[in-house]
Amino acid sequence: MKELKEDAVVRCPVCEAVNLKKGQKMQCRRCDAWIETDPKVSLSKSWAYLITAMIAYIPANLYPMLITKQFGTTQESTIIGGVLQLWEHGSYPIAAIIFFASIMIPILKFLILIYLLISVKYPIGKDRKINKHKLYYMTELAGPWSMIDVFVVAILAALIHLSHIEIIAGTAATAFALSVFFTLLAAHAFDESLIKENR
Amino acid sequence: MKIENEDALDDLIICHQCHTLHEEVPIQDGSKALCRECGTVLYRYDSKLIDHGLALSLTALIFFALANLFPIVKIELLGHEQFITIPKTFMTLFEQGFYIVGLLCAFLIFLFPLMVFTLYTAVFLLLKLRRGRQLTKELLVLLSYALKWNMSDIFLISILVALVKLIGYAQIDMGVAFWALLVYVAIDIYLTKQIHLSEIWMLRKRIYEEQER
Repeated sequence: MKELKEDAVVRCPVCEAVNLKKGQKMQCRRCDAWIETDPKVSLSKSWAYLITAMIAYIPANLYPMLITKQFGTTQESTIIGGVLQLWEHGSYPIAAIIFFASIMIPILKFLILIYLLISVKYPIGKDRKINKHKLYYMTELAGPWSMIDVFVVAILAALIHLSHIEIIAGTAATAFALSVFFTLLAAHAFDESLIKENR
Repeated sequence: MKIENEDALDDLIICHQCHTLHEEVPIQDGSKALCRECGTVLYRYDSKLIDHGLALSLTALIFFALANLFPIVKIELLGHEQFITIPKTFMTLFEQGFYIVGLLCAFLIFLFPLMVFTLYTAVFLLLKLRRGRQLTKELLVLLSYALKWNMSDIFLISILVALVKLIGYAQIDMGVAFWALLVYVAIDIYLTKQIHLSEIWMLRKRIYEEQER
């Protein structure tokens, strides 16, 4: 018989098996995946991905997302431009969806991840009241939905390419897709077991 | 909490939302166990897990094949008819030179969704035949990665958003593949919600232990 404490065990990120902690790098007893128990590694990986994502988010907003060629005239629209255009046309629900998916969710996710990454290292007295596990879970859930705008551009580009009307994806599509991709990686790299509150 | 050896760790489970350590208790067929701290579902018990899983994943595969072979939507614009299929969506991106986005889309809306249900089918089939102890392990590891990156549900919503943008400019007809994709996504959401990977891991352990005896 051996006494077991909650911080002596670690959950395998791949197969969810409960493992006894053995050193900083160990293999899961069930699926052989490598488990990193050193908080530094998970934190620096997460920071690196997050910073990459934030850098990619800048060109994503500056360059055009969608280029419409109509009877010789070319019209370019950025993410925000597209939202405003839809709003003016009166398609409020779609404007709201795109606004949430491409602007609100990425920015909120950046802020929440920055907050989580800082707060697990330097806990401040007041943030004990915030349910960080729930916060992380929500970002994990909402994160992939940012891809909506990229998919919409892909669909429109595939659907509309006539000789006089054509829609082409813009540079921002690449930047934005990469930004979302790296935010997802940053969220996956974050080790939730570092959150010690709300037990 | 006390344990005798490493094997006894399999009777423990850590909540995937709040990381509370729990001891697994036997529960009734068809019921579920919730986390005592946050109320998330920890595990379910289904005595016919293999059959249910196999039936659902095969159905999903058939609908995924339909969703890829037929047009999702057809539009009529200035007398020209245009349509898209799932492969055509990311192939166009390649043609226009957007290799990174094209590659990402190909993985997120085609390869991973295909992988998820091929892997589910293979794992359940192997478990039903009680074979391939090592192989099921590797397939389950692969599945845990593929599940995180399956975005067919988001793609479905994107189709609707794209179409609403086109209302007024073109005449829109929904294709067979759209409805097939809808069924696929419904099964996908149901299956990933109902069957946790840890339950399949436990089932695998029970099956191969019985076999060894």
